[in-house]
Amino acid sequence: MIIDSNAYLGHWAFRRLRYNTGEGLLELMDRVGIDRACVSSASAIMYRNSHAGNEELLEEIDEHRERLIPFAVLNPTYPGWERDLRWCKETLGAKGLRLYPPYHDYGLDEDCCHEMVDAAAELGMVIEIPITVHDLRQSHWLVEVLPVAANDIAVLVADHPAAKFVILQGNGFAGSELVTQLEQLPANYWFEMSLQDSYYRKELQQMKASVGAERLVFGTGICFRYPESAFVRMEGLQATAGEKEMIFSGNMLGLLGDE
Amino acid sequence: MLIDTHAHVMYSQPGADDSAQRTLDAAYVEAADALGIDLLVISCPMVPKPTPPEVFRHANDLVLDAMAKWPGKIWLTTYVNPGWPREALAEIDRTMAATDDMVALKLLRDYSCADPVCFPVVERCIELGLVIIIHQAHHTKLPPDYPYPKVDAADVVELARRYPEAKIIADHIGGGGDWEWTIKTLAEAPNVFQEISGSQFDEGCLEMMLEYLGVERMVFACDCSISSSVGKFQALPCSDEEKEKIGSANFLQLCGRL
Repeated sequence: MIIDSNAYLGHWAFRRLRYNTGEGLLELMDRVGIDRACVSSASAIMYRNSHAGNEELLEEIDEHRERLIPFAVLNPTYPGWERDLRWCKETLGAKGLRLYPPYHDYGLDEDCCHEMVDAAAELGMVIEIPITVHDLRQSHWLVEVLPVAANDIAVLVADHPAAKFVILQGNGFAGSELVTQLEQLPANYWFEMSLQDSYYRKELQQMKASVGAERLVFGTGICFRYPESAFVRMEGLQATAGEKEMIFSGNMLGLLGDE
Repeated sequence: MLIDTHAHVMYSQPGADDSAQRTLDAAYVEAADALGIDLLVISCPMVPKPTPPEVFRHANDLVLDAMAKWPGKIWLTTYVNPGWPREALAEIDRTMAATDDMVALKLLRDYSCADPVCFPVVERCIELGLVIIIHQAHHTKLPPDYPYPKVDAADVVELARRYPEAKIIADHIGGGGDWEWTIKTLAEAPNVFQEISGSQFDEGCLEMMLEYLGVERMVFACDCSISSSVGKFQALPCSDEEKEKIGSANFLQLCGRL
């Protein structure tokens, strides 16, 4: 089985996305053999009221729940997030929550963030934190959003040992505290691999050596990105069949409570 | 056949311990072999700027060394700084004499390609039938202290219009810039090809290239982002024949080797 921990539908404010409906995402998944995908609303990232994106997500995934696993997007600085989070859990059936601190203008060290992480963890939701949404060099001229700092995530995971985190769409982690302090930090965070190369500079290989296959999860970034590149990275990763199975699905199944 | 038309060896100072750089070079060739890339068209332009002649000569020697180490696997893209016109022209001649497989010239970050300082080397390339490979990207947010001249598709088009007989490849559509801007800008410059390399693999980019540039003006390349680029190539919504054009035939035709 292959589970994509990093998928999206909806709209992105700065360019057209294709395959951005439930049906479209399934078409893209079928093209490369992805069985299930953790999907959130791309629109919710830029909506002032992110929750409207969660409501749109429900309309798109409701008939495809066996394959599309809903993840919520919420802004802890926006009124009503507690109620919205409960709706996401109970009505949307969200298995996780994606945080966008730079887009929603808060820090991972702020009280509102801690409160939302606690609330989501209490509901058994996985917390996913994308380092970036797109390459900074293609930022819209009116909007510049910096990546999430990996060391800020290290502080957050230490503060919330009962929560489970997945770090999406990042690379260059080798010097970050998430890797250098691996033994000191709680084992409550995983790395999605879609931007880590396994050929040439071999970052994915080095991550496996540093954090272990049990802390890596497969992801593609669809429908923002072509899924094929993530599969090429997995092909190049020197790992046992068992390790690849963990990365492709086992670790994420465990996180989702579907083990 | 698959040709990575934008590959590099790593620069190292003359006489310095270069084991790390040469290990990376070997890793690149190994990766290419593993992924079915038959031929690497290599330059070595990631050097201190502004680049004096002794540096670009040494950089080209590093590629020639790699060609000797992996015979048949590598063709040379000579790199020069056009700001040293006499030395740059001499270096083109020197590297052409050094190998039969010098097929292109690289311009990177010394000047905008539309700067008249580049015209003598461009004219020499036209005379010799060499492909001109130009580093470019439309970065919407360049830092104020960005140390290099801005070069994007508009500069490439300006050069291409001045020299319609020039054979030009614009570097890395996935190099991080606004690829929609780049593709639309290049659309009306028929002597400019666009290669698909870069760390970014945004869905929809290749389809837009096909729509605006067509199969005939697309070229495969990796620019060290091997997984991203090979994945993009796999994703191309093209027939096998069209993939053959993008993967190798278009470039071979540009080089006069088809």
